[in-house]
Amino acid sequence: MARVVKGDQQAFSQLYDHSSTLLFTLAVRILGNHEEAAELLQDVYLEVWRKVSRYDVGRGTPVAWLVTLTRSRAIDRLRARATRGYRATQSLGDGAAEHVADLGPNPFETQADQELRVSIGAAVAGLPQAQRQAIELAYYEGLSHSEIAARLNQPLGTVKTRIKLGMSKLRDGLHQYWNHGELQ
Amino acid sequence: MTHEELEESVPLYAAGALDRTERQALEAHLLSGCASCHAALKDHQSVAALLPLGLSQTSPPRALKATIMAGRNPAPIPEEAAQKEPAKPSLEPGEWMNHLFPPIAPARSWSLPWAVGLATLVIVAVGGYLSWNVVTQRSEDTSNIQQLESALQDKSTTLAILQREVGEQAKALAAVRSDLQQRTNEAAEAKEQLAQREADLEEARVQLSQRSGARTGGTPQDELATLLRIPNIKAVSLTGSDVAKHAAGFLLYDARTQKVWLYSVNLPECPNGTTYQLWAIQAKPVSLGTFHMDRGDTAHLLVKKVSNFTDAKTFALSLEPSGGRPQPTGPIYLLSRS
Repeated sequence: MARVVKGDQQAFSQLYDHSSTLLFTLAVRILGNHEEAAELLQDVYLEVWRKVSRYDVGRGTPVAWLVTLTRSRAIDRLRARATRGYRATQSLGDGAAEHVADLGPNPFETQADQELRVSIGAAVAGLPQAQRQAIELAYYEGLSHSEIAARLNQPLGTVKTRIKLGMSKLRDGLHQYWNHGELQ
Repeated sequence: MTHEELEESVPLYAAGALDRTERQALEAHLLSGCASCHAALKDHQSVAALLPLGLSQTSPPRALKATIMAGRNPAPIPEEAAQKEPAKPSLEPGEWMNHLFPPIAPARSWSLPWAVGLATLVIVAVGGYLSWNVVTQRSEDTSNIQQLESALQDKSTTLAILQREVGEQAKALAAVRSDLQQRTNEAAEAKEQLAQREADLEEARVQLSQRSGARTGGTPQDELATLLRIPNIKAVSLTGSDVAKHAAGFLLYDARTQKVWLYSVNLPECPNGTTYQLWAIQAKPVSLGTFHMDRGDTAHLLVKKVSNFTDAKTFALSLEPSGGRPQPTGPIYLLSRS
């Protein structure tokens, strides 16, 4: 990442190789279609290339930064789309099942990355369904707790508790992997 | 909000589930430098950033990389100040947002960090000079050292002031950014309302057209309007006779529905015990129906279903005793031009 900051083309290419599948997966999950996800990824990487000098190489994980950036831009698009009255074709909660999973090995994924991915998948799958659903509605649909409460017809306090408990469980479950979180 | 409430909102913040007001409250609290909330946020933010790893992974299209690599113009401008400055051991108040949140717009002025960088260089230079002075001269010129120390202290004070200014600047920028975000959200809400209004209007239009569609064949006026749009409808004009010079009529016949429509205007009112009767005249007159004109009536629409109506060329309207007659007996009021 430090080399990307200096404008290193090869480093940028490597950054793309390491992060594009994850970011594309995230964008497809949020936006529900591949074309728009590809468009978004193009915007995100070009923004990273233009503004990467503002990323402080001294701290944080670049992938976390990229994920946050991609999620934020995707949710913006989702809201803009809702404003235009467009209805997402994808219904809630079944997004992951609709994805065409790329089952082939990612050549840029290390064994540690793979283990991390499996662990996170297991940690998320291990959450009680209600907690997972609340977190996913916030994270992938961009809904606030009050919107989630209205959507699920549940008291606001219940929804807040579900998200808090779910996030804390994930944090505790993943604690041992955090130091391997960087895919740099 | 109490500190406990703010701390509890941290996981919700990381999951992206807070509404705008709560988000701003927590951000303001983080800006005030709360270390425990900051640490909790970093923890939860790391979890949130890992969530997409749990999805079943989908590779982007192969062509995308080439498109992106080709689109990277102009080349990035490396941040020289960032390179010159050593990585800071901890986040300054306000700066955590630049790290946790993607840069949205150029929001930070680099002139002050530059000044800080320069001040740092000055201090390093002064310190270096001090060391050199001590080692080489060994003159134990106490007053000189004190002078230099005081200069160093001045520079340190200047640096502290500049750093505080940077912090304040960052806070102000965060406030501006939050304000901008609020405006953006308000604009988005307004747009949303507008879209909703448009949708309501469209729905109202649809309902209106459905209702008018459902009414076709309902009121005679609507049906008449529909009839007028059918090209092969038979239309006959009737003019007033000597007894009703101002009267006129217009007769339509729809062969599909076997309906006759007579729209008449300016007929005099029927005297008591009389009625108007419409006749189709082929070999002999055939009654098509009767209607009554009351005092004050100026126009009348007669609609009749007539199964035995065929190719009559002439139509007439006569005034007959109430209930009509099998053959015309009274004066003719309207007559078609044959």
